[in-house]
Amino acid sequence: MRSNKDNNLSMAMGPIVDDIVKKSMHDKMRDFINAMFPLMGPAIRKSISESFRAMMVGFSKSMEMAFSWKGLRWRMEALRTGKPFSEVVLLHTLVYRVEQVFFIHSATGISIEHVVNEGADSRDAVMVSAMLTAIQDFVQDCLASGKDGALESMRHGEFTFMVEKSPLAYLACIVRGTPPESLREQMHICLETLLVKYADELERFDGDTAPFVTCRPYMEQLLDAHYVDEGKPAPLWTKMLFGLVFLAIIGAFGYWQYENHLATEEAAAFRQQMREAVNLLRHEPGIEVTHINMRENAPWEVFCLKDRLARSPEEVMLEHSVDPSKFSFQISPHTSHEPIIVEKNVKQALNLPPGVNMVLDAGGSLTLSGTAPMEWILMAGNKAALLPGVTSVDMSALSDPRMNMLKEMTSVVENVTISFPLNSDIPYAEEMPRLVHAVDMLVTIEHLAETMGLSVSLSIYGHADPTGTDKRNYELSQARARTIAAMLYNRESSMPVYAYGMGADQFPGATGYDARKRKIEMRLRFTSSVQGLRENFKF
Amino acid sequence: MISKKVCMLGVFAVGKTALVQKYVRSIFSDRYLSTVGVKISKVEVNADGVDTCLVLWDLEGKDFYTEINLPYLRGAMGYFLVVDGTRRETLDTAMELRAKVTEMVGAVPHIILLNKCDLKDNWEITEDDISALEKQNIPVVKTSAKTGQSVNEAFLSLTRAMHCFQST
Repeated sequence: MRSNKDNNLSMAMGPIVDDIVKKSMHDKMRDFINAMFPLMGPAIRKSISESFRAMMVGFSKSMEMAFSWKGLRWRMEALRTGKPFSEVVLLHTLVYRVEQVFFIHSATGISIEHVVNEGADSRDAVMVSAMLTAIQDFVQDCLASGKDGALESMRHGEFTFMVEKSPLAYLACIVRGTPPESLREQMHICLETLLVKYADELERFDGDTAPFVTCRPYMEQLLDAHYVDEGKPAPLWTKMLFGLVFLAIIGAFGYWQYENHLATEEAAAFRQQMREAVNLLRHEPGIEVTHINMRENAPWEVFCLKDRLARSPEEVMLEHSVDPSKFSFQISPHTSHEPIIVEKNVKQALNLPPGVNMVLDAGGSLTLSGTAPMEWILMAGNKAALLPGVTSVDMSALSDPRMNMLKEMTSVVENVTISFPLNSDIPYAEEMPRLVHAVDMLVTIEHLAETMGLSVSLSIYGHADPTGTDKRNYELSQARARTIAAMLYNRESSMPVYAYGMGADQFPGATGYDARKRKIEMRLRFTSSVQGLRENFKF
Repeated sequence: MISKKVCMLGVFAVGKTALVQKYVRSIFSDRYLSTVGVKISKVEVNADGVDTCLVLWDLEGKDFYTEINLPYLRGAMGYFLVVDGTRRETLDTAMELRAKVTEMVGAVPHIILLNKCDLKDNWEITEDDISALEKQNIPVVKTSAKTGQSVNEAFLSLTRAMHCFQST
């Protein structure tokens, strides 16, 4: 009943019971061990389970603080103000916290004992205690409040200094926040307890604080803290739901990133394929790619210049197994000077007959060789030099086989000389076979020339010896030429024949009656009429 | 650790604050002297193997200590009476103060510090004055706040005296 009123009885009995227990433990240690042993296991298990529970609660709090809107807001505030996050949390959640408790000798102001709450900032307790005592003395002196008055509390910002006095010693608490009324009562009880427990030591106090070490547990009871009641914590299922939603968001974001990465890679590969396809065109003779318009979800526009002889872009694409529908070709005509295209153009323009070889070097020099009809040779010679990309034409190694024949026959004919008797326009009888043969050959030449597109004309030059007058000799020489011309007419030749009387010729070393002067000579002239170009040939 | 309350007493400008400034640690500024009238400092002294924390109450000096803030002297376990050697009247005032303190806290250990030894040529306090003090068993130490002469010794002597006083 007495102990229900106050703790004076227990305080009085405490030291006696302590001594009894100590002595008993010393004397009967084994009995105490046997008695304690069954309690040790459960006690340890309970301690572990309590620690684990506290850890889970702390973890749960941390999770809430990390992911809640309030936690984020406080983190922003900590960033903005430069304060540590823990201090911002403290500011918002703390109702009050007793940060330090001083037990001070009233007369000397010496700090007998001093306890500090975990995490609180503390300064030199000896000097703080002395200054606090001096301030109280100062206030008391200023107000002349007498012995009954005492400074009970001071407030500075968010801190309150609470003092509970007695003549021998006093308790001072530094409190952050708003202290409750009950704290004063607790201080009062604590001070009373200390005064009773250390009455003798306080009475004899000479500055030695060693006997007061045991008063710390009493003072630590005052290191209380109270935080804002945040209400019932969110149920587990809401935390799990929140966690699942968070994981789903993370997962969706990851999947979206993965898909995005794949799409990017696919797009890059597609663009690379398209570029390679366009490069095929760049290497295609006769095609010049000028611009590409890379469009998304639409065929790429490819602007290019194309020679009429170059392959179409679609054909090039198909050859390399590329779908041409992926492109839209915008083609402008142009003339390419690339050797392959020039060669193709030459071949197409000249329509090379069989037997003609063509060489076109990188510089555009065209060399034609072999055999071909004369008319083609004439046409080619006329046309080739005008073709784009052809800088020079060499046709020296090109010939028509009929031309050779024509040359040979012409040579034969032109070497024929028919002799005539003195003062006669009829050749010697023995000359007639040669004359007939020559006429036959002329007819052949006429026909051959006609097949080659050549017109042929014959000039017959009649000669006389110096015997007789010049006039006579002129008439005689002309008559002799006409005799041969008449023979041609008789063969129905349409060849134009020109008979010229040359009169008497002078031959070196010849005498007046030299039969070699009485003769005719023949000369042939060829004219081309191919493609309007008139070219005279004279072998 | 044993803690002792020690007061620094003396007339204005005798060098009380200067005497302890180099040798003590304080968390309070000199402003307290003119506002509250006292400044608390602390110095730890090892006297004969005993670590002692001297809590120094540096009281604001006045011309006449009739107005001394007596509550500050309460509980003092020792004190220094600081005297300016170049001003004879500071010794007289110190002796009056000594009487008042003795009346209030009893005959606790104390030492008269004859300060400003570095200005010895200008001293008004004579050897006869010092002899007279010694005859009354009042310990005297000549100090200089400027050069630091005998300051440590003074703190050590007072600490020893307080220990002896406590054991009796």
